[in-house]
Amino acid sequence: MTTALHATDLGKRYGRKWALSSCTLDIPAGHVVGLVGPNGAGKTTLLNLAVGLLTPSTGTLTILDEKPASSPEQLGRIGFVAQDTPVYANLTIATHLNMGAALNPHWDSQLAERRIQNLGLDPSQRAGRLSGGQRAQLALTLAIAKRPSLLLLDEPVASLDPLARREFLGTIMEVVAEHEVSVILSSHLVADLERVCDYLVVLAASRVQVDGEIDDLLATHHRLVGTRQDFDRLPDSARVIESSHTDRQSTATVASVDPILDPAWSVEALTLEDLVLAYMSQAEEQRRDLVRTKGGAR
Amino acid sequence: MIWFAWRQFRFQALVVFTLLVAVALFFIFTGPHLANLYGDLKGCKANGDCESLTNSLVNSYNKELPFVQALNLIFPALLGMFWGAPLIARELETGTYRLAWTQGVTRARWVLTKLAVVGGASMLAMGLSSWMFTWWASPIDTLNATRFGSNVFDTSYIAPIGYAAFAFALGVTAGVLWRRTVPAMATTIAAYIAVRVPFDHFVRPHLMSPLQQVVSLKNVGNIGFERTPNGVSFIAGDVNRPNSLVASNSVVGNHGGEVTQQWLGNNCRQLLQLNSPNPGKGGHFTTGIRPKAFTECIDKITASFHEVLTYQPANRFWTFQWIEMTIYIVVAILLGAFSYWWVRRRFA
Repeated sequence: MTTALHATDLGKRYGRKWALSSCTLDIPAGHVVGLVGPNGAGKTTLLNLAVGLLTPSTGTLTILDEKPASSPEQLGRIGFVAQDTPVYANLTIATHLNMGAALNPHWDSQLAERRIQNLGLDPSQRAGRLSGGQRAQLALTLAIAKRPSLLLLDEPVASLDPLARREFLGTIMEVVAEHEVSVILSSHLVADLERVCDYLVVLAASRVQVDGEIDDLLATHHRLVGTRQDFDRLPDSARVIESSHTDRQSTATVASVDPILDPAWSVEALTLEDLVLAYMSQAEEQRRDLVRTKGGAR
Repeated sequence: MIWFAWRQFRFQALVVFTLLVAVALFFIFTGPHLANLYGDLKGCKANGDCESLTNSLVNSYNKELPFVQALNLIFPALLGMFWGAPLIARELETGTYRLAWTQGVTRARWVLTKLAVVGGASMLAMGLSSWMFTWWASPIDTLNATRFGSNVFDTSYIAPIGYAAFAFALGVTAGVLWRRTVPAMATTIAAYIAVRVPFDHFVRPHLMSPLQQVVSLKNVGNIGFERTPNGVSFIAGDVNRPNSLVASNSVVGNHGGEVTQQWLGNNCRQLLQLNSPNPGKGGHFTTGIRPKAFTECIDKITASFHEVLTYQPANRFWTFQWIEMTIYIVVAILLGAFSYWWVRRRFA
């Protein structure tokens, strides 16, 4: 099994600010990966590094075991839909398809034309006059017709209305079913990812907080609710991600491979959204702590 | 990639080449008329009417000539602004670079192809424009005999091809640095003028070491005096050298030295005592009525001083065209290489 994305200590710095740091990831091929995190977490940076639009400040990154943008062949294997789905406003849909055909080694013009037809789009229409949803579909068509091994999508549905969003995600599902393609899809909305993804990467505060297959993640994360107490009685293998206390009750999100059998806790299953939120608030907590210690040292 | 580079550039190309066609039509309709006038002039010795024929030719298009001259003068800057500046800046500005650079073409090839296609088109467009203008204006240029002047040198023959390459590369460079089209366009024209004007005035006359000529002041036109805040100073113009470029001229004493205030005080006291606000400024001292003090002083100066002229002779014209075209093309290539490097390394 090849690796879709392999990063070791990957970092990207703009001036003094780190957009992404110490990112170590190993995403196997054959998954639909959700890359989730709050705005500014480094999702776009990671994806732009993956397609070679950016070069790393530290660490290494390989995509399908190759350096990003290293050759036309490599570029042809990656389908990419950038944030805000950029297309040439003054060129027609047909010209966009011709561009794809001229610039890509494995272009599938039949696939591209069929998709435009199925979408009910007029090939002679200028891309600048398309709706947001249509433009996103055009950008996706350009990416898919490259017959890529890996499809990278940066917040493709963020600006779409619910219907267009459902259609777009539906298209991705179709493509995954029809062609053997791995997908990495970023979003700040878990609901979007839940429908299509089987693998999750949570990116927050410029770092990878957790990653893994969604089924595994849900099986190894639990919500514990009990009378107010500390968490020192938990087994060593369990790790508290997030906790909160009221006067009488304590709640915690815990990662543990072993089941929690302590009767002091009632163990509940987590939804994907709960899990993501727990990791995001952990990252936020750590960031605040960091700011506080820095302030104290001064 | 060549196809796509052309496809993106098609509309801009159409606009400029339409303009060129319009100018070409003007030249085609008026060129034969000019050539006829010139033909008449060649036979003028027989009719003995050379002066009026010369005037009618030189003045025949004196309204249109400055326009086409000015057009050829600013045409490189226009190419830089409208072809060079948006070339990469527009992609960066609208975000489409993320689409372009993730197609199956390396960024290196993408940038180099665009530079070659549009840069080549810039040189071609300017070359055509210059060639048409050179052909059309050749009778006028022959009569004016000022080929080394900016009006001809900068607008005709091959040097403008170099200017076009330079302006284009300047536009591209400004574009990748600004990452926005409009400021890049403004920067392009400003930088273009800021390079070209000083180059014309200070660099061109010294591209090769100039020849020197020592001339008696008797043969110098435009000789006289000028009142300055410090008193009166002596002025002398150039010797008329057809189609040459004068690098410098200075009035030097037969035993060294210049016509100083002190020298005038010692030798031309009467002139300095004249009350007229301007003791004989400009003009040939042989024509017109001059005060006696004026002529006497000029005679004294002529006896003890001469003019030293440094100049580029007319037969160096083509050498200079080649040198200047080459210099600007080399600078253009350097700018192109810088833009390429910047896009590959810094914009990442």
